[in-house]
Amino acid sequence: MATRTVLVTGATRGLGKALVEHFLNAGHTVIGCGRGETTVTHERYTHWRLDVTDATAVSGMFTELKRTVVTLDVLINNAGVASMNAVALTPLDAARRVVETNFLAAFNFTREALRMMRKSSGGRVVNVTSVAVPLRLEGEAVYAASKSALETFTRIAAHEFAAFNVTCNAVGPCPVETSLTAGVPRQKMDRLVAAQAIQRWARPEDVVNVVDFFLRPESAMVTGQVIYLGGVS
Amino acid sequence: MRPDAVEQVVLDALRNANLARDPSVQLVVAPGAPIFGPDSPLDSLGLVALLLDIEDALRDRGCPVVLSDERAVSQKRSPFRSVTTLVDYIGTLLQTEQA
Repeated sequence: MATRTVLVTGATRGLGKALVEHFLNAGHTVIGCGRGETTVTHERYTHWRLDVTDATAVSGMFTELKRTVVTLDVLINNAGVASMNAVALTPLDAARRVVETNFLAAFNFTREALRMMRKSSGGRVVNVTSVAVPLRLEGEAVYAASKSALETFTRIAAHEFAAFNVTCNAVGPCPVETSLTAGVPRQKMDRLVAAQAIQRWARPEDVVNVVDFFLRPESAMVTGQVIYLGGVS
Repeated sequence: MRPDAVEQVVLDALRNANLARDPSVQLVVAPGAPIFGPDSPLDSLGLVALLLDIEDALRDRGCPVVLSDERAVSQKRSPFRSVTTLVDYIGTLLQTEQA
């Protein structure tokens, strides 16, 4: 695969960091962003410390990228927050934070990135959703709703972006051992895993495999698709 | 940015759009030419691409504007219907930015 320029959100740790390291090992130029400092040091890696919901900071980053990066080929909307709680006990501000991070930030990054991807020979947007959408477990209404919005966005954006030779797909991991899932009661995560055909936690490389499939040049006809791990459908 | 320079940006974007269009659906490149509506072969996705090209060109000239915001969508008569109306609309946005 020819080397590309890849932007990963939520790149500081967990799945995002694993994706950054994978793309660097594959020879790509990688731009990452996240609220924290990065531990990744590489000549082909640039880290932007920002909150993905801070529209001013995001706009500033893209202005600088447009000035310094000729073409953006891939956007991975990985940044996300979890909030497991009963609907009746979920404060409005907590729900707003989940929707702003999991959906609106992804929308904003995609909107900005598309402008740069139009110059790519084959742009790719990959959104990270969750098996929480099809599993519909109680206690995950807001989180699943935010990811459901992201999935619908993925499917409709695929139609709009085809004219620009850009595909838009989503991968829905089952539970992966990351900081996102560390804050969720083990019992809830075990219920999620029990609902899967393949009843084990996923590894970051399981997610990377699906992302790589979407990024292959041969996947130019694959768009508007959501692939869940673990046999969830 | 002077109106004639804005008009040149719009005409250049139309010329650029024609490079990827079939000879039977070429856009008219002239002051006053229709852009979007019954008198033009440009569809909605084509309009999006054209507006993005114009935004990029204006940004490269130090005049960043967002063309397809709610103000444009909510106007009864679309500012995107002709070169004349689009140039006027961009001029209004640039004046607002400077104010």
